[in-house]
Amino acid sequence: MDDQSGVGRDLTLAAACVAAVFLFALLSPAFGTAGNAATVLRNGYELWLIALGMTLLMAMGAIDVSVGAVMGVTAILTGQALLADLPLGVVMLVGPAAGAMLGLCAGAVVVWGRIPAIVATLGLFGVFRMLIFLVLGGQWLSGLPADLTRVVDWRAAGVPAGLLIVALAYGAAWVFLRRTTYGPHLLAIGFDEDRARLMGLAVTRVRLATFAASGALCGLAGVFYIAIYRNVSMTIGADIALEAVAAVILGGTPIFGGRISLVGTVLGVLLLRILQNGLLLIGVPSLWQTVVTGALLLGVLSAEVVLRRARTGAA
Amino acid sequence: MAQLPALVDGVERLTDMMQAPPDAFVQARGIGKRFGALTALRDVDIDIRAGEVLALLGDNGAGKTTFVKVLAGAHVPSDGTLRIGGDTVRFASPRDAADHGVATIYQELALSENLKVAENIFLGHELVRPVLGVPFLDRAAMRARVRVLLGELDAHIPDIEAPVGSLSGGQRQAVAIARALNLDARLIIMDEPTAALAVAETRKVLNLTRRLAESGRAVVIVSHNIADVFEVADRMIVFRRGRKIAERKRAETDPDEIVALITGAHPDARVADQP
Ligand SMILES: Nc1ncnc2c1ncn2[C@@H]1O[C@H](COP(=O)(O)OP(=O)(O)O)[C@@H](O)[C@H]1O
Ligand SMILES: [Mg+2]
Repeated sequence: MDDQSGVGRDLTLAAACVAAVFLFALLSPAFGTAGNAATVLRNGYELWLIALGMTLLMAMGAIDVSVGAVMGVTAILTGQALLADLPLGVVMLVGPAAGAMLGLCAGAVVVWGRIPAIVATLGLFGVFRMLIFLVLGGQWLSGLPADLTRVVDWRAAGVPAGLLIVALAYGAAWVFLRRTTYGPHLLAIGFDEDRARLMGLAVTRVRLATFAASGALCGLAGVFYIAIYRNVSMTIGADIALEAVAAVILGGTPIFGGRISLVGTVLGVLLLRILQNGLLLIGVPSLWQTVVTGALLLGVLSAEVVLRRARTGAA
Repeated sequence: MAQLPALVDGVERLTDMMQAPPDAFVQARGIGKRFGALTALRDVDIDIRAGEVLALLGDNGAGKTTFVKVLAGAHVPSDGTLRIGGDTVRFASPRDAADHGVATIYQELALSENLKVAENIFLGHELVRPVLGVPFLDRAAMRARVRVLLGELDAHIPDIEAPVGSLSGGQRQAVAIARALNLDARLIIMDEPTAALAVAETRKVLNLTRRLAESGRAVVIVSHNIADVFEVADRMIVFRRGRKIAERKRAETDPDEIVALITGAHPDARVADQP
């Protein structure tokens, strides 16, 4: 599944991460500290989780632009569960369960409504945003207890539990992709949905399951959001869909599906978070963060077009 | 004496019945298919027998692929009945058809080119060892089976880990046929299997087609190439404008007649030209 060009892409991305680290360490004394490294990783948790779901969806030839709002809804539910003093185990399950339901809704609209995923999830994005507005009523959800924060920041042998959970999610995805029927079925659908159906695959089931899995990961991201920020504002998750799509494409999973790279997504998210953190530390206003994300996305996509032309021109 | 023609007719029908092999594997009767206002198939009767290669011929748009898709469960017919292996069937999906022993190799659409050879051969029918209901792949067993299948077909595919997109047209056909064999298909349908192949590869696929029939399977081949058809087919059926206009045994016809039927020059083709 990861072919030669995929490995080359991973190396390029890893090199870009290393180069960015050196550059920022030279420019800002605050960048190259252990504490800042931990911050960069901690800032990556939600995006890693959401981008994992987005990787699966995009490998299948789908996309979900409502992920930020799903994270928002599930973060609010998690916050309220926390305020209601429910057992911590239950609090942590509320988000993923609700996220899976919302993801399933998106999948159902796409599959049975026969609406292109980008259009359907854009519509749902509006609906979920409205939900957030109605629940929050223009206020912030704040003053949340730190119980979840302690869980996520608890360290086992120096490694934060949050990072372990993210790694576990990627590990589980890898096993499903490489060791079960899910991987080839997902990629066959991503390559050509009608052909996959002709070959006898349960296309609808795989598509619904993938939307639900992505939703559950958004819900887990909502739990992390509460753990880390301990408040929810109206604008929660506004940019995260763009960041996730950018990280996935940077990582080498093509927007039209049929191929997947988990390692690429891990590195894509890391690169985005290093750049955002570094630019902030050298004094670039945070307003520029989305510009950098967008520019990277455009840069990679146009580089691919140029490379493809060069390759087909040479053939 | 007025009864004589009726009597002759009766005797003829009786001898026909005795001569006709009793158990055509597929019996399609009165098959019709409409797409909105367009009638793609009209009242088609076809028998397909085990051990025989049946060729479907006809001009572009004559309805061959549509008929094949009805057999394969990809289209639900608007009219008619389909009996396969003695059961009346109504396929809701290609998966249903596969479960009844029907495997179809579509024109250029048979495989997922981004996946490996073995993944393609087993796609949707993987050998698994479920753990807590999760279908874990039995990769060693599948690799072993792939070697056996490709060996049986005498197909030379050096690297079964390669994506199918990197194979030649003939190698892809071999993979598609290996897939059909693996499904233990009793009816194998090939829609234009040689359309995109070089001469040597075409030979190979035609040989394979014969071998499949000789192993007792029913084989349907759709082709534009009259020479190919005369090389492999035992029986030929010509479609025109959604109708079956002729059925010939190979020994009882010749390329000129078949071409005349396809182009509409033959008198028998006129049935299809009435409204
Ligand atoms: N899915 C479809 N929807 C509408 N029309 C179709 C569809 N599939 C085939 N047709 C029409 O049915 C007719 C028969 O097509 P087809 O069976 O593909 O012919 P052949 O394979 O003999 O070239 C053509 O007029 C074609 O345009
Ligand atoms: Mg056709």
